[in-house]
Amino acid sequence: METSSACLVLEGVSRHFGGLKAVDNVNLTLQPGERHALIGPNGAGKTTLFNVISGELRADAGTITLNGADVTRLAAHQRAARGIARTFQITKLFPNLTVIENMLVACEALDRRRFTMHRPLSSCADLVERATNLLDEYRLSPFRRELARNLSYGDQRKLEVALSMAGRPRVLLLDEPMAGLSSGERDVMQALLRQLDPSIAVLLIEHDIDVAFGFAERITVLYQGRVLTEGPKEMVSANRSVQESYLGLLVE
Amino acid sequence: MKIADRPIADRRCFAPRRSVFVVVLLVAAGNVIVGQRPEALPIKIGFIAPLSGPNAQNGRDILNGFLLYLQEIGSGVDGRRIDVIIEDDEAIPAVGLTKTRKLVERDKVHLMAGALLSSTGYALAPYIDAMRIPMLYPVVSADDLTQRRRSKWIVRTGYSGSQPNHAFGEYAYHTLGLKKVATIALDYAFGWESVGGFQRTFEAEGGLVAQKIWCPVFVHDFAPYLAQIPRDVDAVYALFLGRSALQFMRQYQEFGLKQRVRLIGAGTTTDEHVLPFMGDEALGVVTALHYTAALDTPANRKFVAAYRARYNRVPSYYSESMYTGAKWLVTAVEVVHGNVEDSATLVDALRHVKLTDAPRGPLELDDYGNPIENVYIRRVERVNGQLQNTVIETIPRVSQFWKYNPADYLKQPLYARR
Amino acid sequence: MKAVPFVAVILVMLIAGPPFLASYWVGLLTQMLIFALLAMSLDVLLGYTGLPSLGHAGFFGVAAYAVAVLSTTYHAGFWTCVMSGILIGTLLSTLLGLLVSHVRDVYFLMITLASGMVLWGLSYRWIPVTGGDNGISGIPRLDAHAGLPFAGPVAFYYVTLLVFVVSASLLALLVSSPFGFTLRGIRENELRMKSLGFNTWLHCWVSYIIAGAFASVSGVVWAYYNGFVSPTYLDLTASSELFLMVTLGGPGTLVGPVIGAGAIVLLKNVISAYTQRWPLILGTFYIITMFGAPQGLWNLGRRRRASS
Repeated sequence: METSSACLVLEGVSRHFGGLKAVDNVNLTLQPGERHALIGPNGAGKTTLFNVISGELRADAGTITLNGADVTRLAAHQRAARGIARTFQITKLFPNLTVIENMLVACEALDRRRFTMHRPLSSCADLVERATNLLDEYRLSPFRRELARNLSYGDQRKLEVALSMAGRPRVLLLDEPMAGLSSGERDVMQALLRQLDPSIAVLLIEHDIDVAFGFAERITVLYQGRVLTEGPKEMVSANRSVQESYLGLLVE
Repeated sequence: MKIADRPIADRRCFAPRRSVFVVVLLVAAGNVIVGQRPEALPIKIGFIAPLSGPNAQNGRDILNGFLLYLQEIGSGVDGRRIDVIIEDDEAIPAVGLTKTRKLVERDKVHLMAGALLSSTGYALAPYIDAMRIPMLYPVVSADDLTQRRRSKWIVRTGYSGSQPNHAFGEYAYHTLGLKKVATIALDYAFGWESVGGFQRTFEAEGGLVAQKIWCPVFVHDFAPYLAQIPRDVDAVYALFLGRSALQFMRQYQEFGLKQRVRLIGAGTTTDEHVLPFMGDEALGVVTALHYTAALDTPANRKFVAAYRARYNRVPSYYSESMYTGAKWLVTAVEVVHGNVEDSATLVDALRHVKLTDAPRGPLELDDYGNPIENVYIRRVERVNGQLQNTVIETIPRVSQFWKYNPADYLKQPLYARR
Repeated sequence: MKAVPFVAVILVMLIAGPPFLASYWVGLLTQMLIFALLAMSLDVLLGYTGLPSLGHAGFFGVAAYAVAVLSTTYHAGFWTCVMSGILIGTLLSTLLGLLVSHVRDVYFLMITLASGMVLWGLSYRWIPVTGGDNGISGIPRLDAHAGLPFAGPVAFYYVTLLVFVVSASLLALLVSSPFGFTLRGIRENELRMKSLGFNTWLHCWVSYIIAGAFASVSGVVWAYYNGFVSPTYLDLTASSELFLMVTLGGPGTLVGPVIGAGAIVLLKNVISAYTQRWPLILGTFYIITMFGAPQGLWNLGRRRRASS
């Protein structure tokens, strides 16, 4: 496995909650531009693994390398500054800010002007332009003056992804972006995901096997915190029937 | 609208109902035309005291004394009615200041009187000075108000905290024969100054204050403090008031200390605002203050009888404070012939009043604005089934500086907790 | 932006009105402005950053005490007093901020409550400096100390108004700035802010310092207005009253706390002149507002405008 050019490398990463091994000795490598899906039953540790990668949780063991630098001991915001972005399974927006304000806050996150106090945010023309472009891209422009909490659920999920793209990440972690969407909305979201910048590595948690296999080239199957299978989707796909019959893990 | 009812206005103006403004203008015009002197307007006195909260009873007592005296003089002074505007300071200095602002600037009072706590007394002083309104403090006892931080416009007719205790310290050493004393007192300026005054003269004579115990102002249980009292002292000096006095007395007895260690203290500990609610645990306690309801003089007998008749209770030193305070004010107003608008002359008159027949005895101010008055050593006794502070010794004409030279005295720091 | 005409009308009234008012009302207006500034500074924490501080009166009090001690004990000059007051209050919020910026919600409430109590205890017990329970009186009058050509309540009012307008403008700029929006972001969703790359701890700390600084400014003005400081100005009652001013007026709006402060100062002073039961009336007023306008008086008006 070539790790020298990889943008995200996990080696022997573990995270325990008391006696429960939520993430157990996980190895994972993401190449730039790779589309990778993380599948597994409920409680397999997918979201915990996301939290460990993004820095919300610290790893108890193992190392996490981002673009060649060890980030294992870094806090979430420091990892974000080094190019990791994520979305949340349960939507985490700024509900009482307008859609454009949500976007502006996301856009200034990795900008030095986040500590600027002497001029209105709305006067930072380049930030406003970038925020507006992102809203256009995610088809949220009509709602720019709406409070985020007044958006439909589908639009909130779109905003959730759009926020994570504001910092021009190199690695994007998507935690079930389709969860709870209607079939029409799922199509829109899938189309949006296909349009993501091809140079970023994307790690996707998804329950819908068809969506996961449709999106990703490589698949990792997580079960009870451990990597059960990892490889190109054709390979995992070949194993699929076996796993179904033995574990029933993909049927939910 | 009282002004508009006056016949003078009616004669000059047939339609005064248009607006208050018109009425006021025409009344002013009427005054000029008829040559009526402004003295016929009422004298307005602003009064503040805590009328709610934990010190409400003390505040009520002060107010009752005030109203009793005004009732006795009836019609007013020099033909001018006296209007009293009463405000509750809630025993919070900030509120006291707010209410005083209201009385002075909105109600336009000519004179202020009242306040109970030292902190309120200090809070008002700069404002009173700035507004040049004479104010009488009947109770506030903070030493420095008439010592290092004097105010031109404030006249104190009460006492300074250390004043009776200077006298008491000497008395305790020589007459009571005490050599070693522990003190237990509320932990604030009034406590520090009273204990400090006692300690100074007691130790100057050769006694020893072995330990000083301080209880928080809102103390709920005295047990941990009583446990600290050394067993080898001749007496315990206690300073409390209100609820804390009642509870302290009871717990002092319950701890079995009453039989073993003699109890003495500051006047407030057995003052009449709490004494009627005490039982035998208070018997024999010796304290010092400039007043006792049991004082056997004609002036006091008359005051106590009148107070009992009107309020159905025995007057406390707080009650007497503003009865005498009101007498003081009225005397000064008579000296200036009711011309209270000239506040500089009025405050000068206030500083030179001498009373010979106050319930507490004679009093006059020293050069620093604090009364020179008798201090009574009192012992709690049961007479006709009721507890009273019987006078066992009168120490006449006590000054706030005791026997010390004022200039030297003021070079020393204020009594503090230490 | 909807606030602009309202603010303009109020401002014109504040500028033009006082010469026609009796000194009592001018004094009351001055008090309102001082507490409005204090409430706005708390709003930065409570309304914008979402940090419910119950010890905010502490900075107000410490700054006022600094002015009192320096001007009476050390006879310091006007600018020394003013700058030291603001500096000491700000320094204190910088240090305390290091401590409290790590915790959130009820823990933040409790730790700020505790720090407020410590400051109160200090003012009450550090007698050689603070005079304890008696407080410190004899703070020189503003005109005499600053060498102003004008004296009296109206002059003092205009000085306060100037300080208020400048501070309010700075605060309004602050909350609309990129930094101000990071504070709102933290209030709305701190976890998201972290994953976006914000060091939220640092932002909270800076907002705590700024809130402390503006509270100190109001404390300095208060010291001169009152001529006196005592522990009651920084006790829990003072802090919780301040908290009520913000919640009553509408947190996160800056204008709301000004209205809240004005309403409470007015009610306290005016109602109490007519009845001793005024705390009851004030309490009823709070409860009615909380039920009728849970987002505060100002937001009630705004919601109505938004829905129409």
